[in-house]
Amino acid sequence: MLRKRRPSKQMRLLLEAMSAQRLQWRHGYDLMKETGLSSGTLYPLLMRMTDQGLVEAEWQEPAQPGRPARHAYRLTAEGFALALAMAEGCGDVPSTGALA
Amino acid sequence: MSTALSQAVMTLAVCCMGESRRGWALAMQIEFEAAAAEGRSLRFAIGCLAAAWRELLVREEGRFVLTSYALALGLMIPMAALQIGCALLGLPYLYPGQKGLAGALLEGGTHEALLRGVYQAAVPSLAVLLLLLGVAHLRIAWAMLEHDWSRVTRTGTLMLAGAATLVIFMGALFLDGTQALLQVAVLVVELATVSVVARWHAQLFPAALAEDSVR
Repeated sequence: MLRKRRPSKQMRLLLEAMSAQRLQWRHGYDLMKETGLSSGTLYPLLMRMTDQGLVEAEWQEPAQPGRPARHAYRLTAEGFALALAMAEGCGDVPSTGALA
Repeated sequence: MSTALSQAVMTLAVCCMGESRRGWALAMQIEFEAAAAEGRSLRFAIGCLAAAWRELLVREEGRFVLTSYALALGLMIPMAALQIGCALLGLPYLYPGQKGLAGALLEGGTHEALLRGVYQAAVPSLAVLLLLLGVAHLRIAWAMLEHDWSRVTRTGTLMLAGAATLVIFMGALFLDGTQALLQVAVLVVELATVSVVARWHAQLFPAALAEDSVR
């Protein structure tokens, strides 16, 4: 049976930031600035949340020519549902790692 | 200076990310440019390095990488250093009492006049054999870290043959082979551990194994 656990404070911060603009693709550095999380916290969290199907990621063409493509993230429907549930104070996520 | 340092830390972080997280490593590297443009490159790079190390510990693939490096750095390279040292420094550890060449040549012993010539003729071959075994330890460590299992198998077979030759050679010269036997025992343990690592790698990356068998 899959164990459920409460999202960490960092995960709550990230879910909150991402759910504010649910359909907008966000870049890692922008999320860092908005949430105040360090890259050492944000990226493992994004990886775990992507593995759990809470976040989707895609490579986006650069806005300026000659720049590399950037990885962008947004919440999936499941991630958004979790963010809403969390806002109501009852969100649990499947536990697959130390950070979730 | 700071830019070079942060670039180096970022490169290390990317290298520490496992194969299955290669895309994430690339994503971090690209965001690093955005952080650098705002003068926060070092902090960003250190965070990425911490993330990569955390991933190493959390994921089986990471534990595999750590185990491989621990085996190479903790056993294979010390064994290489010991054997190359033995070969280049007059075999100080190979003979009983650690008296090195002088002990081997029975200096002051009753058989010195009788056996010295034979031993003097044999020592260069022993030294070359040990040197080759030491170099083979470095080669097998490198091949293991590169996951080149066919080279690991070839080198391991040659090492076993070399170690057996060493013991037989010492036996034929009536030298006490205790230290040589100990080294052979360590080699057997080492090769057994490498085969476990190879099997683990095959479980983690079946595609790489198929590719290796085609080569």
